[in-house]
Amino acid sequence: MNAISVQNIQKTFGGNMALKNVSFEIPKGEIFGFLGPSGSGKTTLLKILTAQLEATDGHAAVMEMPSKMMQKTAQKRRFGILTDNSGLYERLSIEENLDVFRRLYDLPKSSIDHVLDFVNLHADRKKRVRVLSKGMRQRVTLACAIIHEPELLFLDEPTSALDPVNTAHIHKGLRYLNERGTTIFLTTHDMTEAETLCERVAILHKGEIRAIGAPDELKKTHRDGTLTVELTSGEKERLAMSEESAAAIAGWMTRGQIDRMYTNELSLGDIFIKLTGSELV
Amino acid sequence: MNVSLKRIQAIFIKDYKEFSRNYAVSIMILFPIAFALLYRTEAGDQAAIYAFIMNFSLAMLTSFVQACLIAEEKERNTLRSLMMTPASMLDVLIGKSALVFLISAAVLAFSTYLFGYESSNVMLLAAALGISILLYTAIGTICGLYSKTLLEASLSVFPVLIIFTAGPFALVFEDQYPFLEVLRYLPSSQLSELLVEMEAGAAAGELTKPLVVISLWAVVLTVVSFVLYKRRLMDQ
Repeated sequence: MNAISVQNIQKTFGGNMALKNVSFEIPKGEIFGFLGPSGSGKTTLLKILTAQLEATDGHAAVMEMPSKMMQKTAQKRRFGILTDNSGLYERLSIEENLDVFRRLYDLPKSSIDHVLDFVNLHADRKKRVRVLSKGMRQRVTLACAIIHEPELLFLDEPTSALDPVNTAHIHKGLRYLNERGTTIFLTTHDMTEAETLCERVAILHKGEIRAIGAPDELKKTHRDGTLTVELTSGEKERLAMSEESAAAIAGWMTRGQIDRMYTNELSLGDIFIKLTGSELV
Repeated sequence: MNVSLKRIQAIFIKDYKEFSRNYAVSIMILFPIAFALLYRTEAGDQAAIYAFIMNFSLAMLTSFVQACLIAEEKERNTLRSLMMTPASMLDVLIGKSALVFLISAAVLAFSTYLFGYESSNVMLLAAALGISILLYTAIGTICGLYSKTLLEASLSVFPVLIIFTAGPFALVFEDQYPFLEVLRYLPSSQLSELLVEMEAGAAAGELTKPLVVISLWAVVLTVVSFVLYKRRLMDQ
């Protein structure tokens, strides 16, 4: 069963095509990463999936309903969304902000304690949002997005501008949510984040999907078939997979000259550059 | 359209807390009270002065506060976050407008008491002011939707303040400039006319026209504010 199914989605703004025949499916329970530089169309697609934008052409289904239905009250209860510019009420405390969402979702008061534990902000619950650090704000925003325990969570650059400690904390929380059955759709330009969290990723460039698959599969597909041998003398040899290379390695091994040896796999970032000719920004 | 009292209440409570802690906006409740005390009189033109205070207060309090509440939500991206929850467009608009309506009604009633104005027809006065609050709330919504920031919203209310409050006064030049007759149909002019005629002892039937004109303004502007709200929140 698919949480998200996208078929030939196109979106144009004026004369510019922001999305070109984008198609993919995300099974329920998966963490799926949508990778691409700023302006590649990630946020546009997220807005289409959450009915904030209408596609020019194509079909998108979210939890087996047309994405246009996502603004219906019953559907809104099934998903949560966190974007890098999701707002909080600055003059209200963390607890009061969560209380607004609790009331809107018609949840018991205990849901606030539960979600505060989850984002590790119990001790700070009375603090006004305006005095919080960027990392704490992001955790409050995440808490607002998941207070109703959604089946599907949309995350748009959830850890942008966060320090490594806060990023690790958010990642831990997301994995926990996923283990409890939440499907996560993550857009990011952070390749490490994608490799750490996602079961599958799609690489988007100028509105087109250039590659899709598990990070390890993509690495295997795009590896260059060479290996590097570091010798005890400090020299580095890059060898193709061949009989001559095997003979050379056997010789170094016999003489005890090999310090390290590894296959040359591309990182997701390298694959992105290879596929698109662009640096990630 | 899906409307829920619980969600309206959630938005009302949230806005009340934000309003009470935002002194730059909540200070506006003092203007009608200050004007009522300043212009307190028992002279023959009491109704006209009272009408001026009410018209000024409706623009300066009702429209200003509503515009600021809407613009601040837009500026901080909280309005979009709200729209991603089960809250419908009507829940949000009714919740916000209900707060502004109650604050305006309470402050105008207190100002009326301080001013010492005793109407010969309290029900008619309450109806006229109630409908006026609705229409000035709609004006505030429109100003807020066209403003990107809180500062822009507070400035956008000034044309409303000038046109609607000063409009009835410009009618003294109507003989010299006949085109000014159009100002007669401003809701503020109609409110002034209603109050003055009511105090002059006009029959209820004669007061129907100004009340109908104010009501038409309220209906049209409320519909416009709803349509604009929906359009402005959807990306093109």
